Amino acid sequence: MSERPTAQELTEAIAEFLGGEILPTLDDQRLRFRTLVAMNALSIVYRELDALPPEDDSERRELARRIRAGDVEPGTLARVKADVEARLRVNSPRALERY
Amino acid sequence: MIAEMREALQAVLGDVSEPILLAGGASKEAWAVDAGGERLLVRRAAGGVIHRHTLSLEHEFEVLKAAFEAGVKVPRPILYIESLEGREAFVMERLEGETIGRRIVRMEAPTQLPLQLAEELAKIHAIPRDRLPFLEEAQLERMMDELDDVGDPHPAIELGLWWLRENRPERREPVVNHGDYRIGNVVIDENGLVGVLDWEFAHIDDPVRDLGFGLVRAWRFGVDDKRLGGIADADAYVDRYNELTGLDVGPQELDYWELAGNVAWAIGCLTQAQRHLRGQDRSVELAVLGRLGAEVEYEICHLLEKLAT
Repeated sequence: MSERPTAQELTEAIAEFLGGEILPTLDDQRLRFRTLVAMNALSIVYRELDALPPEDDSERRELARRIRAGDVEPGTLARVKADVEARLRVNSPRALERY
Repeated sequence: MIAEMREALQAVLGDVSEPILLAGGASKEAWAVDAGGERLLVRRAAGGVIHRHTLSLEHEFEVLKAAFEAGVKVPRPILYIESLEGREAFVMERLEGETIGRRIVRMEAPTQLPLQLAEELAKIHAIPRDRLPFLEEAQLERMMDELDDVGDPHPAIELGLWWLRENRPERREPVVNHGDYRIGNVVIDENGLVGVLDWEFAHIDDPVRDLGFGLVRAWRFGVDDKRLGGIADADAYVDRYNELTGLDVGPQELDYWELAGNVAWAIGCLTQAQRHLRGQDRSVELAVLGRLGAEVEYEICHLLEKLAT
């Protein structure tokens, strides 16, 4: 497991926010109901993600360890950047457009 | 909650207006309140655990006082309160102006703002170290410790740290650093800089650490072609700083500390997310920072590419 929070941890954070901070402020019965439905939908996503195998981060871990040890082969920067770019396409794709 | 806060404040400040809890600030609460015709701001600890390299409010208040005495534009420090409704707090003047970075970079920025930023920084760096004996000296090694504490592998941050270890500039005499000197932590109005806020990361460090931190891309708030906080290029700012301090900070050294600032902020994103993940302070905002740190890691790679050519 490498990218934290994981997708599952993010659904958990959103569910806590909806239940703990939004729901108590809602007086409108229709909105209360829809928020509860949304929280239920999130818990479906949570359980579905639970069934997936964890991401294998052994390669990333080994690379980080080697760089820390000062073992930086030619091509390391390109490799590292490609890895960050792939993560950014998920986490914040618009940031890439700014380069 | 508001009634109790008002009562507690009245006990130390006399008659006060109804306190208003301001938005923002994950680790600290900010209350706006008026007393004796004065606009005040009460900074109070929030529930979460304080990050190990941030100052206690007592020490932050001491730093604010030292800065005020040194003539730095800061909110006037008024009173430290050991226990305000069970948590430590301090009271200071409430400055008027804009603090939100996204808005500042869209304002008609006063042309003197980069110079004013340099002038205040020069004053901060002239604060005598022995006035604030509790401030710790930061080292690159501290950043590695913080990253290890997070525990997840981040090769881009490692590569940034490696480059910083391999290319250390000649050591300058360490000074009092603000620690988070950038757009977003200063109050701005149509005449420019009104005051410097958020002293909780103050520490002892190389002066160029503070000077370079404001160049980090994350503090340009989308106006990426203006290296100094989205408001201007860095030249006038650095020239003025050099002129006032007698230092000779050049482009290479500035590049070094801009990279160091990015590495520090990339680690900062991860440690903020850890506060959520470890249950010290549950918040979607902190959680998402853990993912947005990838933006900073990408910038580290981008800077390393430029440095390699």
